Amino acid sequence: MTRINRLRTEAAFILHLIRLNLASNMEYRASFLSQAIGMFINNGIYFVFWLLFFDRFEEIRGYQIQQIFLLFAIVALGWGLAFVFAGNASRLAAMIAEGRLDYYLTLPRPVLPHLIFSRMDPFTLGDLSFGVIAYLFTGRFDPLSIGLFLACSALAAVIFASFYATSGCLSFFIGNATQWSFHIANSLVTFSLYPFGLFQGAIRLFLYTLVPAAFVGAVPVEIVETRSLALLGGLAGAALISVIVLALVFQLGLRRYESGSALNVNI
Amino acid sequence: MSVVSLHDLRKTFTLKRKAPGLRGSLRALVRPHYQTVEAVKGISLELDEGELLAFIGPNGAGKSTTIKMLTGILFPTQGQAQVLGYVPWKQRRVLSYHIGSVFGQKPQLWYHLPPIDTFELFAHIYELDQAAFRRRQAFLVEALGIADFLQTPVRKLSLGQRMRCEIAASMLHGPRILFLDEPTIGLDVVAKQQLREAIKTLHDEEQLTIFLTSHDVGDVESLCKRVVVINHGQVIFDDRTSALKRRFLHRKIIGVRFGQPITDDFDLPHATLLKRGQWGAKIELDTTVRPVDNLIAALMAYAPVVDLTVEDPPMEEIIREIYKADETVTLRADGQANDAPAATPDQAREQA
Repeated sequence: MTRINRLRTEAAFILHLIRLNLASNMEYRASFLSQAIGMFINNGIYFVFWLLFFDRFEEIRGYQIQQIFLLFAIVALGWGLAFVFAGNASRLAAMIAEGRLDYYLTLPRPVLPHLIFSRMDPFTLGDLSFGVIAYLFTGRFDPLSIGLFLACSALAAVIFASFYATSGCLSFFIGNATQWSFHIANSLVTFSLYPFGLFQGAIRLFLYTLVPAAFVGAVPVEIVETRSLALLGGLAGAALISVIVLALVFQLGLRRYESGSALNVNI
Repeated sequence: MSVVSLHDLRKTFTLKRKAPGLRGSLRALVRPHYQTVEAVKGISLELDEGELLAFIGPNGAGKSTTIKMLTGILFPTQGQAQVLGYVPWKQRRVLSYHIGSVFGQKPQLWYHLPPIDTFELFAHIYELDQAAFRRRQAFLVEALGIADFLQTPVRKLSLGQRMRCEIAASMLHGPRILFLDEPTIGLDVVAKQQLREAIKTLHDEEQLTIFLTSHDVGDVESLCKRVVVINHGQVIFDDRTSALKRRFLHRKIIGVRFGQPITDDFDLPHATLLKRGQWGAKIELDTTVRPVDNLIAALMAYAPVVDLTVEDPPMEEIIREIYKADETVTLRADGQANDAPAATPDQAREQA
């Protein structure tokens, strides 16, 4: 089988997984919808803080309310896309620590994509819809801006999922890293939601490398604002690197996997 | 022809140990204490094509660890293994097209969806041609008797129904070897029997090689011609099931409850009365001295029988018997086997 055909087969398989996830979540319609709506409201409350802030101040380190709308739109849509489709990326630490990879290891599909796309978090549909609605407030309705917004959000999604999963791989090396992974991964979204002008020097370097919050917040905002295709290429490169790092760390860690006797349920 | 081959396979885990309570936790935080545990201590065996092997032992004996190494889930610490000519932990993906596995405590069916949806997913996973998949699915549905609940969400199935669907899912791609890890765990008597019949049907119709782990000797008696018993990570018995039966499974525990109170003249020759109540009794029987049907006939002749059970001795007792009979393995005072190598399969056969 050629490489293109192989990729096509894997993509078809992941699409089937996503359809199955949707069907599984639809089994509980009320829970599904209420979780999505709940997360939408949660995001809205956080956003109100910025509305109150900009009611009193015109800008903060180069960011005005329009940039904040755009920042929230990209981060929320990126986050939503990441965990609507790759819901297990944020659970990897616990799954490794509890020895729940056996099922994926006995089947002839690449373990990592099979694993992370095998679950959908319905509440992230709230983030996803919040991102789309926040974008409507930016007033950028020309096709190029919309295209760049969608492309940046998709690349941010890749970085979110990869970073969460990579931090989850810590469990291979230090045992139960569930809390560690949770805090490291949350720092990504926390730093990404602030205007980047607030960070200087070493912290800036930190946010471009170890916790790449710049690539899911500030850089995409700049891409949509400046319409820079070169910068978009740079963002795609960062997304690719995040995937490669994840694949390498996971491969390295898998040798240390110790299975376990915990009950395992595919939902 | 040998399809599974293990040579001196070993697996060691490092476990963190701590004293009980908060003080123990604090001490472990400052100065952690690790202990190396040898889960599998040099297992060697061969399995021929079409064979149905029971790999039995008590909890913690190393059965699941062995099966996980053979399916590529775990890397061994030392030793070699080949399954269908592949090294499982190195060629896991290509091997998985030729083997199926069912882990009793790790379901592969999607919990909120009907089994048929997982079957469709597995058709994608194994890249099956749709027409071939439909034919295969129809055969398995018939063979395993799962047609009635194929479209019922898995969460609403009984454990026995679920387990039969699990086996169907793992057989969709037509594997040459099926690894079953504790498939009867938690099942009631009827469900166990149905599952055993289903396994036997698949084995007979497809000449399937089956590697079955269990801690239920009933699985062995009704299914397998060959049995390997492991304890503390070592093979302590490898022979035909008939030999195990003859040497170690000749004791039965019979529980009986009568429709009228037991009188003082209740006496059963060639059987040991373990417990006696007003309405019932528990009896130990050596079947080489007196057959089970003979004793049951005597019980029914004595008084109307309301309830009757025939049980095998627990696995731990059988293992004790094996140790007692095998002079090559001695016991330490704490009941664990010493580090002397276990009898090889050939030695075990000769001893039998």
